[in-house]
Amino acid sequence: MSDARVLARSAELFAGHRMALHVRTDRLFAWVMLAQWAFGVGVALSLSPFAWAGRIRTTHAHVYAAFLLGGVLSSLPIVLAWRRPGATATRHIIAVAQMLWSALLIHLSGGRIETHFHVFGSLAALSLYRDYKVLGTATFAVATDHYVRGIAWPESVYGVVTPEWWRFLEHAFWVIFAVAFLVSSCRRSIEELSRICLRQAETERLSSLETEKSRALDHALTELAASQEGLQRLAALGELTASVSHELRNPLAGITNATGFLRKKLVDAASREPRIQQFLDIIDRESAACTHIVGELLDFVRERPPALLPCPLRPLVAEAMSMVPRRGAVELSNDVRDDLPVPLLDKEQFRQVLINLIQNASEAMAPGRDGRVTVRAEAGEGRPLCLVVSDNGTGMTPEVAARVFQPLFTTKPRGTGLGLSVVQTIVKRHGGRIHVDTALDRGTEFRVEVPASSGR
Amino acid sequence: VRISVRAGWIVVGLLWVAAVLVGMRALARYAADPGEAAEAPPTWPATSRIERTTNRPTLLVFAHPRCPCSRATVGELAQIMRNMPGGPTVYVLFVKPGGVEGSWERTDLWESASRIPGVRVLVDGDGREAELFGAKTSGHTVVYGASGRLRFAGGITGLRGHAGDNAGRRRVIAALRDDGAQDERNVVFGCPLGDPKP
Repeated sequence: MSDARVLARSAELFAGHRMALHVRTDRLFAWVMLAQWAFGVGVALSLSPFAWAGRIRTTHAHVYAAFLLGGVLSSLPIVLAWRRPGATATRHIIAVAQMLWSALLIHLSGGRIETHFHVFGSLAALSLYRDYKVLGTATFAVATDHYVRGIAWPESVYGVVTPEWWRFLEHAFWVIFAVAFLVSSCRRSIEELSRICLRQAETERLSSLETEKSRALDHALTELAASQEGLQRLAALGELTASVSHELRNPLAGITNATGFLRKKLVDAASREPRIQQFLDIIDRESAACTHIVGELLDFVRERPPALLPCPLRPLVAEAMSMVPRRGAVELSNDVRDDLPVPLLDKEQFRQVLINLIQNASEAMAPGRDGRVTVRAEAGEGRPLCLVVSDNGTGMTPEVAARVFQPLFTTKPRGTGLGLSVVQTIVKRHGGRIHVDTALDRGTEFRVEVPASSGR
Repeated sequence: VRISVRAGWIVVGLLWVAAVLVGMRALARYAADPGEAAEAPPTWPATSRIERTTNRPTLLVFAHPRCPCSRATVGELAQIMRNMPGGPTVYVLFVKPGGVEGSWERTDLWESASRIPGVRVLVDGDGREAELFGAKTSGHTVVYGASGRLRFAGGITGLRGHAGDNAGRRRVIAALRDDGAQDERNVVFGCPLGDPKP
C-alpha cells in the first residue's frame, strides 16, 4: 500500500469514525429528547398542575405547554435521529431543539436560576458530536431566543423594562465563553481522531505486507515440501538406478566377452554367411550403447566427493578428446596453453566433464557440415580457472538452453538426457559453476568456472 | 424520488419551526399576560382588621394559596426581606373563599411564606381584606407608609410565575426604604383571587 493509498484509507477510516460518532450521538439525543419531554411533563404536573380562579381550578397552561410544545420540540429530532442518523441537518436541528428545551424548562420551573445550567449542560452534551458548527448553531439559537425575548418581554430576560441594547450580548457572552473551550476541545479531538486513523491505516498497511509475506512463505514452504517429496522419490529412483546399473554391468561385460570369443571362432562361418558378421556387429554396437547408458546413469547417481589432486589441464583435454568418437568432418581443437597454473581437480570426474561437453559440441553440427569444437582455458592473477568449450554448430533456442541442465531432458533421438546434468553436478562438487551462451545457428559456448583456490 | 423526499423533509422542517414558534410565542404571551387591574385605596382602609404599624411601612401580599404562579411572588418577597432586616411589618394574606372547608389554604405556598423571617401569615376569609385593599389577582402587593399613605401597589414578579430581578421588586424595596415614594403602580401576574364571573 503506497503513501497515497495510506492517506486515502486514513481519510476513509476518519469519515467512517465520524459518521459512526454522529449516528451514535444522534441516537443518544433521541433518548435525551424523549427523557426531557417526560421530565418537562413531570415538572409541569408537579409544580403547576392547575390554574385557580377562587375555588375553581383548570389545567394549567404549563401542562399543555410541556405536553404539546415539548412534544413538538422533541418530535422532529427523534424522527430525524431514527430516519436520517448522521445527516448534517439532523444534528443541527437537534442543537436548536436542545437549546429551546432549555428555554422551555426554565419557563416550566418558574425561571429558577438552577434550571439555567441546562443551557451549559446541553452545550457540553452537544460537544459529543465533535463538530464545532453544531455548537455555533446552538449559540445562535440561544442568542436569537434572548434577542427576541429581550425585545418582546425584556423584563422576563433582563429584569428591567428598558434594558440596554447590548444586554443580550452579555448573556450570549457567557455562552460563547463556554463554547470557546468546547470548540477547542472538539478540534483537538478531531485532530486526535485523524492521527489515530492515520496510525490505523499504517498498521493495516504493515499487517497487509506481513500477510503477503506470510502467504509467500507458506507458498514457498508448500513448494519446498513438494520439492522435497520429489527429491525423495528421485533419491529412491537413483538408488534403484544405481543398483540396476551396477547389476547390468557384469552381464554386459559377459556379453562383450562372449561376442569377442564368438567373433574369433566364427571367422570361417562368417566368411560363408555375411549375416553372422552383421549380427555380431549389432551385438557389439548395442552392448556398447548399453554400457554407455549404464555408465552415464552411474555417473549421475554416484555421490562420490571429488578427490582433488594436481591435474594439468592441457593433457586432460587431449585425453578427453581422444575418447570422444570422431564424427564426420568435425575438427576438435585443444587451445589450452601449457603454461596455465595446474588446478586441483578430480581427474576422473573432470575428464567426464570434458568428454560430455566435447561430445555434445561435436554432435551439435548439422549432418554433412564441417564443424569445429574448440577447448580453451583462462586462469591466473586470482581469477577463477575458466574452461571454455565452444562450437560453431546449430545452437539452441532460449527455451532449450534454459533446460539443458535438467535431468532427463534431451533433444537427441538416442540421448539419455543425463550428460549435461552430470557435468553440472561435478562442477558444483568442485565449488564451481557452469554457464551456457548460445544462439540459434551461431553455435554454443559452455563456460566452466572453478574457484582460483582450486588451482596452484 | 430523491428530490421529492428532500422536499418532504424541508416541508416537515418548516412545519416544525412554525409549530415551535407558535408554541413558544403562546407560552410567552401567557406568561406576560397580567391579571385584572385593580385600584388600591390611597390611604389605609379604616375598616381593615389588620394592624398597621405607625412608625414604619407596612407591606401586605394577597395570595391564592393554591396558585402555582404565586410561588415566584413568595420567592421575591423572601428576596425583599433579605434586603430589609428588621424593617417593615409584613403580612401575607391567603384568601380563603367561602364554601371551602378545613385547611384548604394550608398548602406548600403557605409553608414557604411562613418560613420567611419577619413575615406573618394570615387567612383572609372570604377575601374580605383583599376587597378592602383592591386586590383581585394573587400576588397583589401593597406598601403603606408609616403615615398610612399608599406607596406601592401591584405585583413583584416580572412575569407570571417567573422568579428573577424585576421592576416591581425594586420599587417595593424603594418604597420600603424611602418615605418620599408615593403611589407607585405595577401590573400583577397570578391567578384570580375570586371565582370567575359567570
